[in-house]
Amino acid sequence: MAVALNDAELVRQIGSGTGRQAEAELCRRMAPRIRLYGLRHLRDEHAAEDLTQQVLITAIEALRAGRLREPEKLASFVLGTCRMTVLDLRRNAQRKERLLEQFGADLLSPAQPSEPCLDHDRLARCVQSLKERERAVIVMTFYDEQTGADVAGFLGVSEANVRVIRHRAIHQLRDCMGVAA
Amino acid sequence: MSCPNPIDAADLADYWLGALAGREEEAVEEHLLGCDPCGARLRDTIALAEGVRKLARGGSLRMVVSDAFLKRAAEEGLRVREYAPPPGGSVQCTVTAEDDILIGRLAANLNAARRVDLCICDDRGIEQLRLADIPFHSAAESVAFQQPITDAKAAPSETLIARLVAFDDSGRERLLGEYTFNHTRTLPGPGAR
Repeated sequence: MAVALNDAELVRQIGSGTGRQAEAELCRRMAPRIRLYGLRHLRDEHAAEDLTQQVLITAIEALRAGRLREPEKLASFVLGTCRMTVLDLRRNAQRKERLLEQFGADLLSPAQPSEPCLDHDRLARCVQSLKERERAVIVMTFYDEQTGADVAGFLGVSEANVRVIRHRAIHQLRDCMGVAA
Repeated sequence: MSCPNPIDAADLADYWLGALAGREEEAVEEHLLGCDPCGARLRDTIALAEGVRKLARGGSLRMVVSDAFLKRAAEEGLRVREYAPPPGGSVQCTVTAEDDILIGRLAANLNAARRVDLCICDDRGIEQLRLADIPFHSAAESVAFQQPITDAKAAPSETLIARLVAFDDSGRERLLGEYTFNHTRTLPGPGAR
């Protein structure tokens, strides 16, 4: 049975110049994690895919050249590369926006988010079963992505209180949906 | 494969919302870059968030909503139909196939209330459903109640009475207002007269 290499061993093999399989394993291991980072920061599936490719290319180049001095810190290194690449992508996006303004916004159609695999009828029952304030917080939070002051103002409670209500509601929703805690 | 030190689901939701402080966010990201089980749980959280968004956009939840919610819905191009009978009064109402969100605007003085319940009653005034401890701000002059649009579109012509009741510090119940909605079905199909 093949034993999975740990991160440090992967880095060493790639740095030795004979690590094609290690590079493939790095991509398999890191791609979904980088993609999640991209979704969080770029809020767009296609942009997250672009980020994943760019980060992997940059990381493999750096590892081949032996530029990661502490191989056990692969995750930190990839995280740093993600941050730098997101900044680059945002700069490019601003450039693109300026060009779109100049040449017309209908050149590109907006990317569609992927469909979450979820039982929507069950979710509706679960959301409806929450207490009124919990439901309000969850809907305001996830529909409008409001986190603090606005929700607190609507409920007439403190922001810290909103956080407590949100956390309780999220746990209840996950329980109700049968998602592992 | 499991994580020996999993990130709490609510913290993952905060991360997704950008609600974590800088150092907390950094710690979560570092963890996620090395942990597939927590990544999978974050995906579950994202799916939940997207699911709730869809439900909210679909106007299918029975709940009290904020003006910010209604503003956002209108900005998204959703068609909001709102009826505002005065306290003690009634309004003739209907929904069309094009409507996305149905709101009953209930004007009331919420100043001294500690807790407010919204009671949904039939045409005889008999309580059918109670939304207990609804969110409200004491300075607000009304409550925006969303009735599920799918129910309204399917409903026959009928009368619905909404009651706002307040509780003071001693727990005494006091009527803030009663609002009658005379719904006329205009859509074809079962239930149409």
